[in-house]
Amino acid sequence: MIKITNLEKFYRTEEVETIALNKLSIEIATGEFVAIMGPSGCGKSTLLNILGMLDDPDAGSYVFNEIEVAHFTERKRADLRKHNIGFVFQSFNLIDELTVFENVELPLIYTGVPSSERVKRVEEVLDKMQIMHRRNHYPQQLSGGQQQRVAIARAVVNKPKLILADEPTGNLDSSNGNDVMELLTDLNEQGTTIIMVTHSEHDARYSHRIIRLLDGQSVMENIMV
Amino acid sequence: MIRNYIKTAFRSLRKNKGFTAINILGLALGLATCLLIVLYVVDELSYDRYNTKINRIYRVNEDLKLGGNNVLYAVCMPPLAKTLKAEYPYVENAVRLKNAGTSHVKKGNFNISENRIAFADPSLFDVFTLPMINGNPASALVEPNSVVITETTAKKYFNSTNVVGKTLLLNDNTLCKVTGVIKDISKQSHFNFDFFISMASFPDSRSNEWLRSDYNTYVLLKDPSDAKKLEASFPELLKKFSGAQMQAQLNMSIDAFEKSGSFFRMNLTPLTDIHLHSNRSGELGPNGTTQYVYIFSAIAIFILLIACVNFMNLSTARSSNRAREVGVRKVLGSPRKYLIAQFLTESILVTLIATVIAFFVAALLLPLFNHLADKDIVITAQSLVWIVPSLLFIVVFIGSLSGSYPAFYLSAFQPIDVLKGKLAAGFKGGRLRSFLVVFQFSISIFLIIGTLVIYNQLNYIQTKNLGYNRNQVLIVQNIFELNNQAKIFKQEVKGLPGVVNTTMTGFLPTSNWKNTAIYFPDASRDQKRSMFPQNWEIDEDYISTLDMKMVSGRSFSRDMATDSDGIVINEAAAKFLGFKDPVNKTIYKSLGGNHTADNVKQYHILGVVKDFNFSSLRQNVSPVVMRLAENNGALSIRVNTTNLPALLSQIKDKWKSISPNVQIDYSFMDQEFDASYRTEQRTGQIFIVFTSLAILIACLGLFGLAAYAAEQRTKEIGIRKVLGANVSAIVGMLSKDFIKLVFISILIASPLAWFFMNKWFLQDFAYRINIQWWVLVLAGVAALFIAFITVSFQSIKAAIANPVDSLKNE
Repeated sequence: MIKITNLEKFYRTEEVETIALNKLSIEIATGEFVAIMGPSGCGKSTLLNILGMLDDPDAGSYVFNEIEVAHFTERKRADLRKHNIGFVFQSFNLIDELTVFENVELPLIYTGVPSSERVKRVEEVLDKMQIMHRRNHYPQQLSGGQQQRVAIARAVVNKPKLILADEPTGNLDSSNGNDVMELLTDLNEQGTTIIMVTHSEHDARYSHRIIRLLDGQSVMENIMV
Repeated sequence: MIRNYIKTAFRSLRKNKGFTAINILGLALGLATCLLIVLYVVDELSYDRYNTKINRIYRVNEDLKLGGNNVLYAVCMPPLAKTLKAEYPYVENAVRLKNAGTSHVKKGNFNISENRIAFADPSLFDVFTLPMINGNPASALVEPNSVVITETTAKKYFNSTNVVGKTLLLNDNTLCKVTGVIKDISKQSHFNFDFFISMASFPDSRSNEWLRSDYNTYVLLKDPSDAKKLEASFPELLKKFSGAQMQAQLNMSIDAFEKSGSFFRMNLTPLTDIHLHSNRSGELGPNGTTQYVYIFSAIAIFILLIACVNFMNLSTARSSNRAREVGVRKVLGSPRKYLIAQFLTESILVTLIATVIAFFVAALLLPLFNHLADKDIVITAQSLVWIVPSLLFIVVFIGSLSGSYPAFYLSAFQPIDVLKGKLAAGFKGGRLRSFLVVFQFSISIFLIIGTLVIYNQLNYIQTKNLGYNRNQVLIVQNIFELNNQAKIFKQEVKGLPGVVNTTMTGFLPTSNWKNTAIYFPDASRDQKRSMFPQNWEIDEDYISTLDMKMVSGRSFSRDMATDSDGIVINEAAAKFLGFKDPVNKTIYKSLGGNHTADNVKQYHILGVVKDFNFSSLRQNVSPVVMRLAENNGALSIRVNTTNLPALLSQIKDKWKSISPNVQIDYSFMDQEFDASYRTEQRTGQIFIVFTSLAILIACLGLFGLAAYAAEQRTKEIGIRKVLGANVSAIVGMLSKDFIKLVFISILIASPLAWFFMNKWFLQDFAYRINIQWWVLVLAGVAALFIAFITVSFQSIKAAIANPVDSLKNE
């Protein structure tokens, strides 16, 4: 599904140039659950942003579903992104002014799903995430675990092929964290490819494969059994 | 989708109640003020529009230049109206009005003093649109001693409007038959009378004199385009009709008259221009000036701009808080246009709410404003026809303008930057915001300086030595009511304790009595050297009663039998005549009529009185010639008493004993003086109100910005405090940025205000102040002070907060 080759990304300030990704090559197959680990500043988030088409690489190739996207325009990337990729953030990034239902509905609005279909799909996914009873609440009224469920619901409502999760349990206690990991595992079992950045060895154990980064390079891959 | 925008907008506004309130309040205040000013301006611009034939009505004016005198008249010769109608087929009709001054109208046993009386030709109701409730407009003013009155007047005298055929007794000697009742004349009319007496009642109206001007004359043209044709034909008309009389009286032809540098011309003023563009001698009432219309329009635009700037500033400042939302939406696939639409919806919603509030606030404040501006403005269904669409336009325009910055700026961000929080630093670099704050405060400081200048000028007028003393002078009007008893009244009043002196004449520096005559410095009566001064009739006590100063020579004296051939002139007249030592020189007064030796009277100059201001301080003192003659217009009484009420009642008793049926009518000279500057005073008050509002709105914005700045720098403040910064250091740090902007505003606004106040306002006064440096300094200090108070409120709040809380926030 994903094939990156010799991917490079630099950050420049006036005086220093930081190499975030250094000729990184990775391949991820459809249906995989991959964890990316590494110390702070190793390039995990940069990689995730590029994979999520939120950012573009400075050099190298990124093939997504057989399509070279490395030098796509923002508009094309956005288009590809909203149909194929769902995001889960550490800080949930729910919109405070919208209810649970409306937050989850948002991606469907942007992909032009008709209203009646939207209601059906949102309800379906809220049900699956067991937060149907909270549908009319605002994010501030929910616990962290519930907020992350809403965020996951929002990420999957469009039935994306790929979910990118950036420390999805980072702001949660261990019990809520485990629930979230179970949810992701279920999604993966139903066929969704998942790439997750994490600091937690515990969370990483849910994945099929761990890619360890250091200084923008892949230093080790563990295959989980 | 729209529903989604509105929903989100509403919730976002509700979530930030403070900002929303400041935004809406500031904008609503600005819009309300603006709306009031627009109503005022529209009112000023719509004078005389009640006339259905307005575009075809013109007033005929006369411009006279005689020697060194130049007079612009709003009045013309008595026979002009009928001549125009007879000579020019495209003149459909013509009408004359003549202000009849004050008369007494009997009601029961009492005489009521009325001063809104005019003589009018029968054609009045054909030219002007004055709907008649009762009576026949075509014939109402044909017969002598017929009178048409307004509805209110009819009710006042008869308690009914069905009064055609009833009579009114004027001045105890003239019985007038009511032949018509008209609707009250709109306040937006350049003339406003309660009584129209038929011109036929006034014998002078049949005069055939072509060299005098005292009738307000209007023509109704068949087609407005004929106005040019009519104006072009005036020189010929004058030659034909005035020529012979000029030959007889001045011994010269009109050509020779023009060749000598003098002229005698006529022109037209469209009815639409009279209220705002005409300020001639002989107007039927005080007109407005475009100056105030311009000044107030400018203020309205300024205030609206300040309010918009607030709105923009607060929206953009807050927009970085919205950045995360934008980022999330973009990650989820929102196209840019959706985000733009969302921000615009939000700002249009705010504008809409503010506009609705503004409309009601304006409607609520309208009576107060009417009182302040001496207007009678009402919001009618008719005015709503233009108010509502313009308000809607404002909603969309201001809403889009104010929302455009966050809409286009924020929506252009890369979601990754937004989510990483790269925008948080956006506030400090808010160059646009700094510019807008400077803009706002420049306007505020400009208005402060403007207000100070207007008040200084008013104060100057109040305290200027006018050449006479207007304090402690009681004026009893209409002494002519006492007939031959007037002199006895004067003697008796003079004998009362507390009365210093009295003088009997209607010609007072504060009154509207004016009379001009032609004088010549030598017997040749060369009109090139003629003088056209005020020609006043005074008595021996005039100069001393009014505390005027003689510069040379003496005033009139009872001991000198020959003083009736003497005159006292003012310094301006002495200068005009060009005499080095004017006392005992002889000057010659034209008596009108033919240019023969009998038609001139010689006067010798007894003395020169120091110039005194008798018209507005807008004009220089012009020449005045004062003759000794009996004039029973008014009795001025200089009093010196601590018990004025007692003295007043004694004077009233004396009046009553002589004239029990006529009510005494009195006033005080200083009040009459103040009344003539009421427009300026009113302008000053309106200016203060608007300036305060402008500053208030600007401060609201600054308050919001300061709150935001403090919020943005919460973490920095926390760290600084942990490292040992004290409260004053932090307040200073937070206030510094804003104070700097106010300083820049002072530098920009001061020279502009100095320039424009000189050019727009002070230039209108012949006697005016110089704008002092301290005015500029005071305005600057005031602005700094206000800004500092506003900002420091927020700064102090931020500075005394517990740093632990602010650091934990992260």
